[in-house]
Amino acid sequence: MGATDAAAPSSPSRPRIDRRRVLAGAVLGGAGLAALHGVLAAGLRGRTGRTGDGWASPLGSEAARVMHLLRRATFGASPEEFERAASDGFQRTVDRLLEEPPAPPPDLWSADDPDRGSRLRLGQLQLWWVRHLLDTPTPFAERMTLFWHGHFTSDAQKVGLATPFLYWQNLTWRRMALTDLRSMLWQVTVDPAMLRYLDLATSSGSAPNENYARELMERFTMGVGNYTEEDVRAAARALAGWVEPRPDRYRQVVLDAGKGVRRRYGVWDRPRTGTFVPRRAYRGTVTYLGRTGHLDTQAVLDAILAHPATAVYLAGKVAAEFVSPQVEASYVRRLADTFRSSGYDVKSLMRAVFTSPEFVSDAAYRALVKSPTEFMVHVLKAVQAPHLAPLVVAAGPQMGQILFAPPDVGGWPSNAAWISSNNVLARVNFATAVVERLGSAPPLDGLLEQVDRVLGPGTASALQRTADERRRLLLLLASPEFQLK
Amino acid sequence: MVDEIGINRIRRRDFLKAGLVFGAGAAGLAAGYAAVPDAFARAVYAATTNGVTNDRILVMIQLAGGNDGLRTVIPLQDPALHDLRPRLAAMSVGSALPLDGEVGLNQNLKGIKRLWDQGRVAIVQGVGYPNPSFSHFESIRIWETGDPSRRQLDGWLGRTLARNYDADGHPLAGCACGTAEVPGALRDLQATLTVIESQRSFGFSGGSEVEAAVGALYRNTPGIYGALFDTAMATARDAVAALQAAQAKYRPAATYSDQQQLVYASKNQLAAALQLAAELIVTGTGVKLLHVTLGGFDTHYTELARQDDLMAYLDSAVSAFFQDLDAHGMADRVLVATWSEFGRRPRENASGGTDHGAAAPLLLIGGPVKGGLYGEAPSLTDLDATDNLKYTVDFRSVYQEILGAHLGADPKEILGGSFERLGFIRDPVATF
Repeated sequence: MGATDAAAPSSPSRPRIDRRRVLAGAVLGGAGLAALHGVLAAGLRGRTGRTGDGWASPLGSEAARVMHLLRRATFGASPEEFERAASDGFQRTVDRLLEEPPAPPPDLWSADDPDRGSRLRLGQLQLWWVRHLLDTPTPFAERMTLFWHGHFTSDAQKVGLATPFLYWQNLTWRRMALTDLRSMLWQVTVDPAMLRYLDLATSSGSAPNENYARELMERFTMGVGNYTEEDVRAAARALAGWVEPRPDRYRQVVLDAGKGVRRRYGVWDRPRTGTFVPRRAYRGTVTYLGRTGHLDTQAVLDAILAHPATAVYLAGKVAAEFVSPQVEASYVRRLADTFRSSGYDVKSLMRAVFTSPEFVSDAAYRALVKSPTEFMVHVLKAVQAPHLAPLVVAAGPQMGQILFAPPDVGGWPSNAAWISSNNVLARVNFATAVVERLGSAPPLDGLLEQVDRVLGPGTASALQRTADERRRLLLLLASPEFQLK
Repeated sequence: MVDEIGINRIRRRDFLKAGLVFGAGAAGLAAGYAAVPDAFARAVYAATTNGVTNDRILVMIQLAGGNDGLRTVIPLQDPALHDLRPRLAAMSVGSALPLDGEVGLNQNLKGIKRLWDQGRVAIVQGVGYPNPSFSHFESIRIWETGDPSRRQLDGWLGRTLARNYDADGHPLAGCACGTAEVPGALRDLQATLTVIESQRSFGFSGGSEVEAAVGALYRNTPGIYGALFDTAMATARDAVAALQAAQAKYRPAATYSDQQQLVYASKNQLAAALQLAAELIVTGTGVKLLHVTLGGFDTHYTELARQDDLMAYLDSAVSAFFQDLDAHGMADRVLVATWSEFGRRPRENASGGTDHGAAAPLLLIGGPVKGGLYGEAPSLTDLDATDNLKYTVDFRSVYQEILGAHLGADPKEILGGSFERLGFIRDPVATF
């Protein structure tokens, strides 16, 4: 175990910063991040207080930087993926991740499946995606698809699975994962799952439903505080008129022959978007974000894209998901400027993130907590057991992440919110289940590479105390080190 | 075992302090502080058997998404209701369960109506706060922190826990049932908190050997999440042990059913969560503050069937819960309080639903309650500038009563001020 490198504090006797005072300072200083992020980030600053008790960052080494990138931009690397990326080096790996077009997943239905285009089961949809997360040659596109799934989110419980709408939405966010915000905002507005999830499909100009208009601004683009209640009402009027697409044809399905239960399902030959019905639209003029006139959907989206808060809000979210929950406001502004001046090009934003000094700073090392899906997929990649994909689907609910069923329109929480007594237990149980099912345990030495051989005192001594390969594998996968990225 | 006598006196804050000062590994190990989490774990477990003062218990039920107050406690005589929401009013007024001449409960709250008839339900009408936010997330945060000025970061129950019940680091004093994450109302970095998504999966599947082995991993973990990880693991191990002991003792005296056929299913299994809450209460685990959630109340569309279904589900779960507590002789200690981030817009929309609103009634149920109506129902003809109901009771008045009269905590310390008295607790445990 000579290779392990326990992080040591530079000076354990530094004065402890009082947590309450730090929190008060953060508040008075206007820690204006979104509610949850702000609360937790400020709290964590207070809890640690010093930089001396952090992990010893290995990011001075090129190989460690490559692994750091793969943990964050993908779902962690298999040994082969790491070897290839390490020989390419950090910069070439960034270029490759950004430039490779997303590999499409296999069709969910075979060409002759009579259910083609309808009647999904949630578990089937989840397993289809998890298998692709494990198999894909372009894992960065999948990581971004998961990011957009949590951002422009929709939920199977409300959207339902009698249509392929959620399947289409997943294909859409993968196809558009690295395009531009202008195109994505149009798409999300007319996306059939979203039309249903946030009720735009049943709104009308005469009695508007505000659900989509509000969340479009609050969760998808500008963030709360950058628009008024009048703007919500104006946008709800201006956006009204969209309805769901109609199927190409219908098909009768006998659900229960004995009881004679039949149901009619729509069948779609290819994905479609919503239809605009002018007679359902609002006919008058509205004043929205300072613009007055007969505003249509594109005019609403243009006003949002012209608002400076939009780039800042998205850059802040990307920074908290890919860099650290504790980044400086000036860093977010820098990313936002890049994003906006590139015409809201997502690739330019992500390139700016990965090539920024902040991304590989000591403070960013292990500053992020893997989401349950990231954790579980990384485990299966590290031990090369893609056949255990069904375990990922089964264990999601216990850890608080059910793909295609986020808790609410805010998507999933991040980082510190993933750490609870329930969740550490559920992660240990997942690692236990995986290790039980492996034919043979891969050698520990290769797996230590996955955590850069940087171990805390608890993990280092626990690994030293056991010689059993299987037990050591379990300990490594269940360790705090492996939960972080 | 001699050590444990001293260890029992280890207070949670000392543990945290040790974690902060020595949390970084080598130096901490050298100083012998690596033993702290283990000692801490034993100390908190001992506390459960030492009998944490366990007289009054609070169960908060979050109705997530914004529950329509006008379809929960329904105005029976006001023609304005029919002007504002012709479809929704037509279906709810006639079938309501009248409480007096003026208002009635939703037709599906039959069990809660029975509890009302027994004098065990208080309804506070018109609850809200100044300058309401219509964002789910903002308004949830305001209710969770008890602070409309949005400065407070910790949850109001988390602060109560840290201040009043956490001196011995008791793992189950605060517990969220039926969720994987810490609810914001209970969040406070100084508070020990257990989160149990499901009783079935809450245990180490690899057995005690795996538990001990992985427990050793979560010690003096470095980094910004280190103390959170170590505390979560220590709490999980304690709670698993406590839950196993509770499970062996508990015999439910009611049928809890999550088999409701909801038109718009909630993700939260309310009945299972309340059954777990009952188990923790009746087996004397020392539980004090519980939080459960029922989602699905964001009824922007086809509200009629959806909200009625959710009311029926709430009613059956709460009824089973009190039947169980009654049979175990514990109902006089337990106060159930509902909360929701906002009510809904009085005027219905094109989708047969309602958009985000403001003031709404809260239900307070249990033996400690002095039954009746409190507060003033907001006017349906004098709406605010956003066409919403004007609140008549500040939500912190309700919190104040819960904290001061039911739990015996100092509400002024926790809420940072004093609010109008409501008096819905029959025998206050303290003056405040």
